[in-house]
Amino acid sequence: MRGRMNAGLLVGGVLVGIVVLAALVSFFWTPHDPTLVDAARKLREPGGGYLLGADKFGRDTFSQLMVGARTTLYVGIVAVGIAAVIGTPLGMAAGMTPRGWLSELIMRVNDLVFAFPALLLAVMLGAVYGAGTLTAMIAIGVATVPAFARVARAATLQVMVTDYVLAARAAGRRRPAIAFRHVLPNIGSVLIVQASVSFAIAILAEAALSFLGFGTRPPTPSWGRMLQESQELLFSTPRLALWPGLAIALAVLGFNLLGDGLRDFLDPKLRRIRAEG
Amino acid sequence: MRRIGIWMAVGGLLLSTAACGGGTAGTAGGGAPAAQTLSVGFVAEPANLDFTSTEGVAIPQALLVNVYEGLVKLDQNGQIVPLLAEKWDVSDDRTSYTFTLRKNVTFSSGAPFTADDVVFSLDRVKTDWKLKIKSQLDVIDTVEKKDDSTVVVTLKRPSNGFLYSMATRLGAMFSRTGVSDLANKPIGTGPYVLGSWRRGDSIQLQPNPAYWGTKPSLSSVTLKYFKDATAMNNALLTGGIDAISSVQAPESLQQFADPNRFQTVEGTTNGEVVLSMNNGRPPFDDKKVRQAVRHAIDHKALLDTAWAGRGQLIGSMVPPTDPWYEDRTGDYPYDPAKAKELLGGKTYDVKMRIPNLPYAVNSAQVVKSQLAQVGINAEIEPLEFPARWLDVVFTQGDYDMSIINHVEPRDMGIFADKSYYFRYDNPEFGELLAAADEGTEQEQTESLKQAAKLLSDDAAADFLFLFPNLVVAKKGVTGLPKNAIAEQFDFTALAKQ
Repeated sequence: MRGRMNAGLLVGGVLVGIVVLAALVSFFWTPHDPTLVDAARKLREPGGGYLLGADKFGRDTFSQLMVGARTTLYVGIVAVGIAAVIGTPLGMAAGMTPRGWLSELIMRVNDLVFAFPALLLAVMLGAVYGAGTLTAMIAIGVATVPAFARVARAATLQVMVTDYVLAARAAGRRRPAIAFRHVLPNIGSVLIVQASVSFAIAILAEAALSFLGFGTRPPTPSWGRMLQESQELLFSTPRLALWPGLAIALAVLGFNLLGDGLRDFLDPKLRRIRAEG
Repeated sequence: MRRIGIWMAVGGLLLSTAACGGGTAGTAGGGAPAAQTLSVGFVAEPANLDFTSTEGVAIPQALLVNVYEGLVKLDQNGQIVPLLAEKWDVSDDRTSYTFTLRKNVTFSSGAPFTADDVVFSLDRVKTDWKLKIKSQLDVIDTVEKKDDSTVVVTLKRPSNGFLYSMATRLGAMFSRTGVSDLANKPIGTGPYVLGSWRRGDSIQLQPNPAYWGTKPSLSSVTLKYFKDATAMNNALLTGGIDAISSVQAPESLQQFADPNRFQTVEGTTNGEVVLSMNNGRPPFDDKKVRQAVRHAIDHKALLDTAWAGRGQLIGSMVPPTDPWYEDRTGDYPYDPAKAKELLGGKTYDVKMRIPNLPYAVNSAQVVKSQLAQVGINAEIEPLEFPARWLDVVFTQGDYDMSIINHVEPRDMGIFADKSYYFRYDNPEFGELLAAADEGTEQEQTESLKQAAKLLSDDAAADFLFLFPNLVVAKKGVTGLPKNAIAEQFDFTALAKQ
């Protein structure tokens, strides 16, 4: 049985699709070398093979945006991956032993990490281990762990009181088996929605870090750094800030809409209401 | 000769981002014809007002020449000119300096300025100062009062650096009765006195009614501190301040292009933006590889893209305001084919560890792109500045390439120290420098010219450009300092029409 496609899902899917496509194509082809400095092309106006013009280093903006999409997705995937891989088992463990000391320990430590801003963590890691895409990804990932753990725990609590889990427990199934057989598949949809939303947050965080000089290292293109480099030209050449800003906004919007859409799409209750209505 | 001051110096450039702005209403000082006020903004605020114990240029920038005066000062062209000394005579063996002091000079506390204060101030450098640079005056043997307005300074050996040091904060004159609270109450002989200090915001200077020289025409000058260059730009645009003393984002100058509202003054600094190469380890222990780098870089294109074409190409470690400056930009013309030939077809992977400062990050991207054309792949790694960069690159020397603005005046000597992070080791260079300090002025100039040429020939480093001093002010502000080659931001000639 399939849920009906809603507008949010469609628009979100298209926006995310464009970003993914741009990133994939950039592996094989960009209109120009995105890191080649050429004084003769400095601040070149759009046109003539340079779709969106060139920046103060004479680098093609369009090519930079394409490779920047790659950076963005890369950071998003790794950061969300870290958060999901660490946060989900922790949340499930806490949800399956709701009154145990383990649950308390996990959730309190979780609260502690949750209270710590992702950007601050990233700036700290950057200062200690050197700024770079890797430290940024790890910091954003670790800071997103609590969100996953909470969502996983809440969903697990619901699943644990269902008849089939009670039946499995009565039949003497071990906890790991229950976790993999019954809990994980049933909280999967919630986690996918969470991943999508976290992805949007990770994109913003990466852009912010690169803007501050703690993210992707130059000259690897990054939307955040493109914004930062265009800052001093904001009054004279606003397009340099416009394009990466737009790219960030649309990518974040895309992932948020996708998350919202997926939630509606995957939620069994909503699905039932629609089917009845 | 090891100098650890680069970072302070770099900080200093940031600091010198001054902006004169809509002045705080100051009480009209004596002699001010009209109640004109002006405020000058900077990027970093001094932690206290005592430059005898606190490093960094923020304090002398605000106070030297304005509040404190020395016997001599460095003018806009790099010349040493009289200030509290009317004149000085040098003995034939150049180890004895006789300073004749200006009469009728008083400190802002009312105490008269006499030879005793000179002896007190110079002795105090040895006994009480806590700065590394105080070793520059170790060359002084004795300071003696001959009469109330004559002081004789005897040196251990002839030194061309002595008088220059006297023009810096080291030569500032303090009152024997006025050093009890230097951190909060500066007492000097200068044209201004400290009015008020709103910590975290601004320092206000007021005219010294008892000043011996030409009294300031302004009723107050406010040094306003901004954390962010963009915020300062905006303050000037909206009229919050009257000027920016050193623009940190040169592309943003276009905002101030309207000649009916603003004026831009462009001058030089002592800041050589150096592309340093680690002479102590492969691949840059090979002179040919270093020379290849110098040929591979199109300096003109680099300056145009990385710093909006502001600044000057130098080719060696000497700014044009030093007497031994020679244009060395022709030594290694842009020639990628020659560079490839020098590399012999080999390719290299190197680490470029740079401070995370705008000029460095901008320049690094251009350098990387240009080096890639000849087969050198430089991986850029921005390090947090100052702490981490100083630790990794400067102290440990763990780098292949770096980019930093060496802003200390007359700092070519750092190349003579082979433990300095360049790891440059050529005894001939050290000999030239030693000869320069002890020789006559003419010998000094000749030796240092040769030394600069040697640095360039050896490709001890590449010299990207000379950092510009960019001052933007509202139309009608006059007396703005053009060059930033001394520690101070000189307010003495500042006026508003």
